[in-house]
Parts: sequence; structure tokens; C-alpha cells
Amino acid sequence: MSCKRSILPEGCRNRKRICTSRKQDDDVSHTKWDANEHFETATLPSDTKAALLYLKNLFPLEKFEGRLPPIMTKHQLYSIIHNRTLVDKELEDLRICGEVRLFKLGSKADEFFIVFTQDYTSHVQKFIAGMSVNKVVIDKFLSTVISRCQDVSLNKQTMLYDFHFKDEDITQLVKACVLTVRDVGSWWVSIPAAGLYMKSFTRGRKAILTMIKKCKYKEILQSELEVRKLPKVARLGMTYHIHDIIGAELVEW
Amino acid sequence: MLNLLASRELGVDSPACVFHAETALLAHSLDLSKYHDFQKIHRGGINSLDLDPVDNRYLLSGGGEGIIGLHDLHNTTGVPQCTFPTICTVGLSNRYRHKFSVETVKWYPLDTGMFISSGTDKHLKVWDTNSLTTADEYEFSGVVYSHDVSSIATKHCLIAVGYLGNSVRLLDLRCGSSIHTLKGHRSSVLSVQWSTRNEYLLATGSQDSKAMLWDIRRANSSLMMLDQHNGDASANPNSVNTAHDGHVNGLCFTPDGLHLVTFGTDERLRLWCTATGRNMFVNYGRINNKCRKSITLAMSHDSKPEIVYVPSDNNIGVYGLFSGTKLGTLRGHFSQVNCCVRDANTQHLYSAGNDRNILLWLPQTDTVRAYEAHLTGDSNKAHVTRFTQRIAATADAWSSDDD
Repeated sequence: MSCKRSILPEGCRNRKRICTSRKQDDDVSHTKWDANEHFETATLPSDTKAALLYLKNLFPLEKFEGRLPPIMTKHQLYSIIHNRTLVDKELEDLRICGEVRLFKLGSKADEFFIVFTQDYTSHVQKFIAGMSVNKVVIDKFLSTVISRCQDVSLNKQTMLYDFHFKDEDITQLVKACVLTVRDVGSWWVSIPAAGLYMKSFTRGRKAILTMIKKCKYKEILQSELEVRKLPKVARLGMTYHIHDIIGAELVEW
Repeated sequence: MLNLLASRELGVDSPACVFHAETALLAHSLDLSKYHDFQKIHRGGINSLDLDPVDNRYLLSGGGEGIIGLHDLHNTTGVPQCTFPTICTVGLSNRYRHKFSVETVKWYPLDTGMFISSGTDKHLKVWDTNSLTTADEYEFSGVVYSHDVSSIATKHCLIAVGYLGNSVRLLDLRCGSSIHTLKGHRSSVLSVQWSTRNEYLLATGSQDSKAMLWDIRRANSSLMMLDQHNGDASANPNSVNTAHDGHVNGLCFTPDGLHLVTFGTDERLRLWCTATGRNMFVNYGRINNKCRKSITLAMSHDSKPEIVYVPSDNNIGVYGLFSGTKLGTLRGHFSQVNCCVRDANTQHLYSAGNDRNILLWLPQTDTVRAYEAHLTGDSNKAHVTRFTQRIAATADAWSSDDD
């Protein structure tokens, strides 16, 4: 019943507010709050950003020994905020203003991975430090493409004419794993060492799904699931995977 | 409610406000009716339902064995509990019947004396309701998946037909022949729907994952091809504009005709603006869609927020039209649900599926709840008495205290 209440339209909702004596009081506090709110909204992050920061905290950086930036997925957000349309819109805003970057790593059409742009650039710089690639090209890539172009993939035309890269430069970029080949003349923007992440991500997801499947009636309490252990290869942690499978609608919740 | 009425009285809210709030309450509280039943006539799954637009009283159902039934929804018994009778059927003995499954049935929008059916026997038939004979018949080169008659048209009398083959046919009832072929799809057209605002606007969804809008007055009728990425080239792997990544088998205009909802086998529901043809990017999440035939969605637009009812496997999902949030699930069918129809006056929802049942979903008002309690109370009492009788019959009268 409580669930039904919450989805009712505004007109029907406040039917219980009969006492009128306190109304004035309410109004006063309301205006006060409004003033506060106006002051604070400038600094408060949106719901989606807050959820992203929460997920970023869940990501076990120490288990990967700093070889990966914190990577979140788009559908994990759906498990925290239930209005998917709102998540999409706010994430789009974050993407356009350059705070986060979206990546396509898996083969699935609607699976997007999210990394904060700041984390991404510092990660790339750390990653190429030990490699024999042209650092000038990478720096140029980071300062032009990453800051100006927010798309998940790039094609030859934009690379050659808009950003003035040469063919050899693109080879260098592919070698440094910031680009992966999508098709002839088009590339995905990628995260170096993403394979490490994908391995534990897919293994962990598979493990947790089999775990649920093997339960009686194929269902389990979330609190019970949280205390269980995942195999060693899946290093992302139980809570991270629970958000993943709920958001991707692989389980009914 | 009192609040609403008071503010309506004072003129704070418009009269529509009360109406919208009350319909929203009803539309949100739909649940399976426990005391209504339909007389069973179908031997196969039911593919299509249509409620007559004249007085919302007669329900047409088209079934898997070529049977068409006409149900009377008017309850004259005086008791809420009833079985809706079938007034007449196009049964197996009718020599005009469809040889195979009936895919779509539609009332002629202006008069209940006529209805139109089409099916997998490649025929579209125009029926006289009173004599249950066909007035006209059209044959196609392939299975007819769906047809539609415009409910608002005043200047034409056209039936749009989507069939196996890559075009849409327009049939004119006045001259009794096919007058136009709309070419543009690459594969079978699974669903066609006339706009509810513009009488010349037609929407079609096809197996080639495209949904198109047509203006039938133009020589090159195609108006636009709906694009799920809104022309964002980097997200689009191939250059053709697709509405879904699978077959498009459900179409529904909002009753004001400003938006279009499409449902595809990529398990997505999409909302489009009909004026610009742009994707509104409302994310409804994954909605199971294993059906490879046409699916009918229902919509409730007089409630604010608007609601769309989407058949998804054995259940019907209830979604907010513009927010995309899931508001609930209607569970009751035992097999794939193929269609749902809503009665705008009473807020009743009728659904039918492969389990051969037609189900009625009632808004849970206080009277409905009270009547249900009354019924269960009765059956409980009956149960208790039967139980005590049984105990009495098997009870052992012997007692050890006697000796």
C-alpha cells in the first residue's frame, strides 16, 4: 500500500493535512528552507552524480594495485535511482559538460561504462609512463579529444581533419590502448588495461548469477547474498555486483 | 478528495483537476476482477480484442482457430457477479469464417453494424454484424498481420493493412478495392495504426526494425523514418535509421495524437514526438517481448500522470508514459498476453492472451472491495459449515470417562 501511495499524483497525495493552525508555521519554515536551498544547490551534486560517487567508493582500487581507475556502469545507476529517464538525462548533462566519460567495452549494445574524466586522464598518464610510445601524441590526445569530443567512438574523418592527427599518431594511440579498433576507419575510445577489469567483471557477474540460480526457489535475501564470498578472480566486491545485476535486470528485485 | 472538491468549489483548481486526479486514482489501482467471467468460446489463443467505440458495450475477440466472438459487457442481472455472455460467434460452422488464425479484429468506428477482421489465411473480411456474413473480402499475397481503420476520419474511409511482404496497402471501403501501396519497408509490416489527431497520418512498424510515419496525401507517402539515436551518428552503427534493434510489433498513439509509443522485440518501449519524429529518450527499462506477432497496447491519458499498459509475457506492465517508471504489474494470465483494451468511461481494462482467457481488470474502489469481502465472507462461511459437518460425521462419540 505504501508503494501505491507514493505513485499517486500530487492532487490526491496530501489529503491528510487537515490541521490548519500550523499552516502558517509551515509556510514560514518553508520559505526559510527555500532560501537555504537556493544557497546550497550550487554546491550540491545531482542525484546521479551522488550515486556515481557512491559507486566510485565501492570500486576496490587497492585490489587492482592502482592499475585501474574507478569504473562504474550506467545500469548500476538504475539500481540506485529508480527513475531511469532522469538518470539518462543527468548523465547526459554530466557527459556534455565533460565531468564523466562514457565507454563501450563489452559487446552488448546498451552497456556503457563510466569513468570520471579526471580519473581517466591521470590513469592514462600513469599507464603510458612505462611504455615506449610517443608521449606528445598522448598528451595531445588528452588535451584535445578527451576535453572536446564527448562521443564514445571516433571516426577517421574527425581524427584526421578536426583534430589533425596523422596515421602514425593513430597507430601510437592504438598501441597505448586509448583507442581500440571498431571498424575500418573508426575507433572506440577505450581505457588502458580495461581487460583486467572486464575479466573480473564478467567472471563476478557469472559467479553471482550461478549463486542465485543454485539457491532454493532461485531467490535469496540481499543481506544473505552480501555476506557470501565471490571467487578470487572476481575482485570487484559483492555490493558492486549486486548493483550491477539489479540494474541490468538480470534478476527480479 | 474533500480537499480537491473544496479547492474546486473555491475556484482554485480547474474542474479538470478533480477529474484527472480521480481517474489517476482508479487507473493506478487496477486489479483482476474476482467475480467477472467471460463465456468461453475460443479453442486457441486470442490474438485481438476491440471495444466498440460507439457505446463501449460490445467486445470483439479474434482467436487462433478462426473464431470471432462478440461479447456483451452490459450487466443486466442486477448483481455485480456475472459471466459476460457471448451474443454471437463466427464459429467453425460459419462458411464465411477465416480458415486459419484471426490476427486482428476491428469495429467500424462509426457503427456497430460492421466489423473488419484479417488473419493468417491471407484474407481481410468486412462483416455484417447482424447477419454474420461477409460483405466484402480482399485477398493478399501473404499473411495479414494487422489492419486499422481511422477513428477520426471524415474525408476518407480507408483501411490500412500490413502484411507479409514489404509494403502497406490502403483499401477503400467506398469503392471496394485497393487504392494505394505504401512502399518503404524492407520486410513484413507487423503493425499499422492511424493517428488519433491527423486523419491522413499513418504509423507502421515492421520486422526490419523500422517504424515509419506516412502522409497518405503525398505522392511519395513516406513522411519520416523514426530514428532511435536522433541522428547521433557516433551511436549509430549502421547508416539506416532504425526505431528498435528488433522487430517493431506494437504501436500506439496517445489519445491526443501528439506522441507515439512503439514496442519492439529488443525489449524496449520508446516514446516519440509525432510532430518532429524525435525520440523522447524516456527509458522504461527492459520489458520482455517474446511475441513475434502484433501486440496491442492500451493507454490511459485522462489520468495525470499518463499511464501505458504494456503486455509483457504473462503479465501486463503498468508504466508512467512520460516518466518511464514502472508503476506495477498486472498478473493473471497463464500464458503470453497478446492484447489489452481500455474502456475510457469505466476505466476497465480487458486483456486476452494465448491461455484463451479474456480477463477484466477493475479499479479497486471501495464498493468493489466491499463486494469482494462480502463474496469471500460467504464462501468462508460455507467452507466452515462444510468443515464442521465433516467433523461431526467422523467424530468418535466414545469417551473413556464413561466406564
